[in-house]
Amino acid sequence: MKTTYISRILVVGISMLAFFGLWEGVVWLGGYPPFILPSPGQVVQRLGVLLADGSLWRHMGVTVGEILAGLALGTVVATALGYLLAHFPIAERLLSPYIIASQSVPVVAVAPLLVIWFGPGLLSKILVCALVVFFPILVNTIVGVRSVEPELRDLMRMLEANRWKTFWFLEVPAALPVLLSGLKIGATLSVIGAVVGEFVASNQGLGYLIKQGQQLYDTPLVFVGIGMLIALAQALYGTVALAERFLLRGHSIHTKEVR
Amino acid sequence: MSTPVLQVERLYMAYRRPEGWLEVLRDLSFQVAEGEFVTVIGPSGCGKTTLLRLIAGLIRPVSGQILLRGNPVFQPSREVGFVFQQPALLPWRTALENVALPLEVDGCSRKEALQKARALLRWVGLEGFENAYPTHLSGGMAQRVALARALIHDPSILLLDEPFGSLDALTRETLARELARLWEERRLTVLMVTHSVSEAVFLADRVLVLTPRPTTLAAEVPVSLPRPRDATLLEEPAFIALVREVRERLNWAQRSGSVTQTPNLWYNPPDNRANLVGTVSNATLESDRRTSGAVLPGYRD
Repeated sequence: MKTTYISRILVVGISMLAFFGLWEGVVWLGGYPPFILPSPGQVVQRLGVLLADGSLWRHMGVTVGEILAGLALGTVVATALGYLLAHFPIAERLLSPYIIASQSVPVVAVAPLLVIWFGPGLLSKILVCALVVFFPILVNTIVGVRSVEPELRDLMRMLEANRWKTFWFLEVPAALPVLLSGLKIGATLSVIGAVVGEFVASNQGLGYLIKQGQQLYDTPLVFVGIGMLIALAQALYGTVALAERFLLRGHSIHTKEVR
Repeated sequence: MSTPVLQVERLYMAYRRPEGWLEVLRDLSFQVAEGEFVTVIGPSGCGKTTLLRLIAGLIRPVSGQILLRGNPVFQPSREVGFVFQQPALLPWRTALENVALPLEVDGCSRKEALQKARALLRWVGLEGFENAYPTHLSGGMAQRVALARALIHDPSILLLDEPFGSLDALTRETLARELARLWEERRLTVLMVTHSVSEAVFLADRVLVLTPRPTTLAAEVPVSLPRPRDATLLEEPAFIALVREVRERLNWAQRSGSVTQTPNLWYNPPDNRANLVGTVSNATLESDRRTSGAVLPGYRD
């Protein structure tokens, strides 16, 4: 157990070293100027400057706030609606055309509209974020609630469990694995949502930083922004995965599936 | 004698199918007394599970009534302990937590619930498996957990829906013996559906034999074998005779179809043969009856 953990870290470390080495090599061999392709060293240097003047933390904080708020909003609405749709097929028939329509339009196309309606501030980004997160969580909630075996529902009826108790003792734990895998997808998508929102209109955030870097041909800045977004997405995914491990420690069947 | 724990009176049940109504139960009546172990046996698809679900209050009959300790059953209640064909354990709860579930749903404190569950789990022979998750339990063990869970409320009646149906023959026999022992210790009131004639006789005070759909009572066979019962009983002539009787009744019920619907089905020659041969001689009919009616026990089941 312990050795596999260490060896896994070792493998990741080696692959990352190789990646950065290759990158440095390409820059060195091709002799590209920094505004086309900066070397890892130059990106780190730019990162140092941004860290020193504190601007990175500010922009990052804004984006993180948008992501967390959007993720929370999207998750709450999607799980509540998903629970409803799972229980009332009529509601599903009624609403699913609109829900699917909302998903067939790319967020990039809707984002300007949201900015017009809700202003260039935080709210429009949160909404874009929530919109992106919404669908995978909704679908997974429906699947999760519907996956509860009819015999277990009969059991709860035999125990005279009311709706709330059935929800708490049966539906929540039964739907949790599927819901959490939806949340993992949602967490990574939420990063995209926030950046899309910032691209449309903003004066702060990592998306804004990237856009600025593009306009000023400050390519190292663009790379810093991208790097931060990657780190953010990884951290979010990791957090959900950790929560999953903790919450599903009792799910003897599911832990195997999740790995 | 006091009022029976369970009274089933003139029960009718039908399901709506695209082709029309499917009549499942027709005028079924019987009673189960306090502390009695009654087994129900019948051809497959005859509505045995439907019967149990009706008694449990999970579904409502078309007409007729079910009385539990004199009170009509309208909805599921804790008065009934139900063990399904599948163990139906919650996979995220340990064996102990699964047994404790009914009490926790009631709002009992977790500590108290677990304490009571621990005692029951020991009683069904699963000491040491308290913290095992259902995936790590064998089929027989899982069914024991389900049994303990059904008993934690001290229900008035225990309904067992082919609880050993999905187990291998060996486990099945062991569990049947175990169930007999547990019953003898506690004198529970049990109504159990089974597919196995010898299991039905081995466990029961009384065996109810059902007809094919639409199902009604074909026969009641009292089993007055001595208790406690153990494996030696299986070789006793009295036991073998009873198994034979139940099997014969079952065969008879299977051939004759629903008694109330077509009481003399096998006295009538099949139409096509009558047309082909013209008149069928009495002798043929007589021999037909003999082979079909008095089938040796064990030949068809």
